[in-house]
Amino acid sequence: MPFTKTPTASKRSRAALATSAALALASTLAACGAAAEGGGDDEIVIGISLPLTGDFSEPGKGIQRGYEAWAEYVNANGGLLGRDVRLEMLDDQSSAERVAADYEKLINQEQVDLVVGPFSTRLVIPAAQVAQDYGYLFVEPAGAAPEVFEEGFENLFYAAPAVANDHYKLLAEHILAMPESQRPKTAAYASMDDPFAQGTAYGLKDALEEGGVKTVVDEVYPPNTTDFSSIAAKIADSKADIVVGGSQYQDGVNLIVALQQLSYQPKLAAFSTAPTETEFAEAIGDKTQGIIAPTGYTTKADYPENQEFVKFYEEKHGEAPGEDEANAWTTGQVVAAAVEAVECAEPDPDCQAELIDWLRENEVDTVVGPLSWDAQGRPQSAHMIQQWVDGEIKIVLPEDQSEAEFVYPKPAW
Amino acid sequence: MSSALLLQSLILGLLLGGLYALLAAGLTLYFGVMRVVMIAHSAFLILAAYLAWFFTTQTGLDPLLSLIITVPLFFAAGYGMQRALLSRLRPATLTMMSVLLTFAIALVIEGGLGYLFSGTQRRIQLGYSSASLELWGARIAVVKLVAFGLAAVSLLALYLLLKKTRFGQALRATIQHREAAQLLGIDTDRIAGFGFGLGLATAAVGGTALALDATIYPSLHWHWIGPLMAIIVIGGLGSIPGAAIAAMLLGVTQALLQIPMGTTWAQTVFYLALFATLMFRPQGFFGGRLAQRF
Repeated sequence: MPFTKTPTASKRSRAALATSAALALASTLAACGAAAEGGGDDEIVIGISLPLTGDFSEPGKGIQRGYEAWAEYVNANGGLLGRDVRLEMLDDQSSAERVAADYEKLINQEQVDLVVGPFSTRLVIPAAQVAQDYGYLFVEPAGAAPEVFEEGFENLFYAAPAVANDHYKLLAEHILAMPESQRPKTAAYASMDDPFAQGTAYGLKDALEEGGVKTVVDEVYPPNTTDFSSIAAKIADSKADIVVGGSQYQDGVNLIVALQQLSYQPKLAAFSTAPTETEFAEAIGDKTQGIIAPTGYTTKADYPENQEFVKFYEEKHGEAPGEDEANAWTTGQVVAAAVEAVECAEPDPDCQAELIDWLRENEVDTVVGPLSWDAQGRPQSAHMIQQWVDGEIKIVLPEDQSEAEFVYPKPAW
Repeated sequence: MSSALLLQSLILGLLLGGLYALLAAGLTLYFGVMRVVMIAHSAFLILAAYLAWFFTTQTGLDPLLSLIITVPLFFAAGYGMQRALLSRLRPATLTMMSVLLTFAIALVIEGGLGYLFSGTQRRIQLGYSSASLELWGARIAVVKLVAFGLAAVSLLALYLLLKKTRFGQALRATIQHREAAQLLGIDTDRIAGFGFGLGLATAAVGGTALALDATIYPSLHWHWIGPLMAIIVIGGLGSIPGAAIAAMLLGVTQALLQIPMGTTWAQTVFYLALFATLMFRPQGFFGGRLAQRF
């Protein structure tokens, strides 16, 4: 669940102040024997600060469950480099000031061997800054907003398939690969005024416009919009071949129903987030036919790593993991791959630099498929595309993971 | 802009305006009866919507049937709320304190809904939720038409009740001059309680109408209270016909402005109209002085 708020300038300077204060304090403490707290030869200590209380406590706890499950799994399978993994977790109370101080403490005072990221853009940015100052590798499970990759971090890697703008990448490729006669000619877009939701729709818009699909409606609505009949009227009036929604939940559902009320029958209807929620079918009943949505994680993906993860997690918790748990597990996998490859896990800047360099150059197999990154840490993979077929949502793209054929044009809804 | 889109938007605007009118009716009534600013009105709308949803998921029956339960229930709750809480506020600071009191009630309702039904967003699944009729090439959604029908019937009933019955006369007398009404032998306290109950009963109807074609969640009421307040000020506080006319005008204006301006700017029509009203005609556009409404 991405959150895309950047701290304001004043917040940042306050964070910087707190940082330097913590630095002074920490260096004094480090001098008197804090070094002993770091991992000995028999264990690797991984420092994490998470929002276990406050605004992001729900997803924060999901991330925590994912990290803990991953550490248990690694230790049950011989550890990392033959050493046990121990997680050193702090609660940052969802506060951007606090998270920076936490990573200072973990790196400087406790001298952890590795650090991994917290939840949400707002906390990832200050945390990544601290890690960068100390030359630490920083792999993070949740920070998909564009800001994260525009701060000039050289140590950051986002452990998920794609940033918001690339969620529809596979769909765009699929549409543009259609024969000229079948390919849609016009498209209507409606998206929430939110960097994440809008990012998904506009990623597809940019790709399709470049491929010659004309944009006939481009509506942006504020997050509190509940009546979608007028937007639907515009889209229906345009008779666009396809409709794309940069939606969250209620906006997507309400827009779909409003479009159906106007008897608009597009050849393709893609909406982010809403169609993947469990309440979706409950809300609109049997009129889901052919609706498409991108998804960052599904327990059904048959990468061997994912099958193992789902099995292990279900045995431990008695329920299937969600996207937050999967993202944390992925983060663990990415760090572990680098550690195994360069055979080091020390606070030492040379070791950390080697880890960073290795991830820049290599691809890692994870529960969300193989991942690699660009120079700013953007993952270069893509979200899977799911489609509602006969009352069930199924993976249709990429083809090697598909559970059902991609249906185009979609049947009437 | 095609003429088909214009007609479609006009129809959508009228349907939306009808719903606005029903949702605002109770709000203007409370103010008319007792100078109470009822912030919790929209929270009661959402409560009624949740009850309709709960009724349908439990029984599988049409949500409209839930009105048989919710209308009397809300009438009783309104009467009780007026007698037990609002009538205890000091008359000198009534309007101001009623804002605080009903704000608290709104929070209690929102919290209660979240506690009972969780924050998950709900929608009543109806067989006819996407059905529509065709009229000169435009589409009229059945659920919106039903909601409009509910609004029209309730508002007409309310109007007739106030204009034609003894109770209505007593209520209007209470609104116009409380002491004089008392001198004529009207039990104004009870009448005020009934007036409040009536307002809340419209919330039951309005909430159910809303639930037919909306996704609901506990905090949804905050999105409604602003536009509804604007409608009753523009219509003239206390005037039900005024609120209805203002609601229709604003609904249509909003739907039509959405074509050239988009959703974000079209939403501001409520507040622009509110500012204009307060600047040029603070008593509202319909009816004269407050005392002579209806």
